[in-house]
Amino acid sequence: MKVLVVDDFSTMRRIIKNLLRDIGFTNISEADDGSTALPMLKDGDFEFVVTDWNMPGMQGIDLLKAIRADAKLSHIPVLMVTAEAKKEQIVMAAQAGVNGYIVKPFTAATLNTKLDKIFQRLG
Amino acid sequence: MTMNTSVHISLEQAKLLVEYLESDQQEKADELIAEIQSPINTELFAEIGKLTRQLHDSLNNFQVDSRLNDLATADIPDAKERLNYVISRTEEAANKTMDAVESIFPVVDTIQQQISAVNPLWKKLMHNELDIGEFKALCRDIDTLLKTTEKETSHMHSLMTDVLMAQDFQDLTGQVIRKVIDLVHEVEESLINMLTVFGLSSEEAKTVSLPKVGENLVEGPIVNTESRTDVVADQDDVDDLLSSLGF
Repeated sequence: MKVLVVDDFSTMRRIIKNLLRDIGFTNISEADDGSTALPMLKDGDFEFVVTDWNMPGMQGIDLLKAIRADAKLSHIPVLMVTAEAKKEQIVMAAQAGVNGYIVKPFTAATLNTKLDKIFQRLG
Repeated sequence: MTMNTSVHISLEQAKLLVEYLESDQQEKADELIAEIQSPINTELFAEIGKLTRQLHDSLNNFQVDSRLNDLATADIPDAKERLNYVISRTEEAANKTMDAVESIFPVVDTIQQQISAVNPLWKKLMHNELDIGEFKALCRDIDTLLKTTEKETSHMHSLMTDVLMAQDFQDLTGQVIRKVIDLVHEVEESLINMLTVFGLSSEEAKTVSLPKVGENLVEGPIVNTESRTDVVADQDDVDDLLSSLGF
């Protein structure tokens, strides 16, 4: 499964990549904000997106909305991993069609649980 | 500021004044007028004196606050550099740690694979079910396992020392951040001082607003979740909120 990890901090991308690799995702690409991620998604056959919210350029929430608005991409599950912890934001992400929401700092176990849940639901 | 400007002249004084003027004693008349006016003059001078002192103090305070100039031109740029140093040191530490951990992962995996390879024959040996051919194979596998483990554990040991040493950023960045906190405190004091000079109490200012949130709602990590009601405290809160939305 082809995965895109979007975060402006390379260390966070590296952590997420390591955790994903550990549970069997080997085909992982990276982008440092929404505006670099979106063309990659349009060109590639990604099946899963993990994104941060607060990034320079295009924010994660806008990336999520753009994915949901694009008929070719709208089916891709999106997991948000972010330090943004306002209830208003979580509601907003849910309304925009996020598939999972993890607040930083997070643990490997949390990531695993959320991934299981997302893929279980998708069947 | 109210000042008593009314002049009280008594009938006696008035009569005396007329008498001086009629008898052409101009000097005496002038003296009398000065005497009558003297209470106002004293009051006026006192008031002017007070204003002068206030002005002087205010100007002095401004001189004290020339420290603000230093803060803006030297200390704050210096603080920015210090905070950038924190970013680069923590990034470096994170990468050093991940370099080491990423090289440990495959080592551990190799050892685990070799142990799995040895395990079936080992179990047979423990149950006295091993023939001589299998025994030889087992010996070879164990030999490989021992050699690998010996070599790789000392490699892992040095990698773990790297992880340990990468944590030295905590001490260094801690010192730097503490300095920046001191600076922020000083700026705060100076600003309050300035507000006071301009006659605005800092208490008034306090009620104005909460810290501003950036554009697009984003705020970054919440450092005071206990004192906020608009944020979640942890992942469980997130999950509860999402499930209350039917997630």
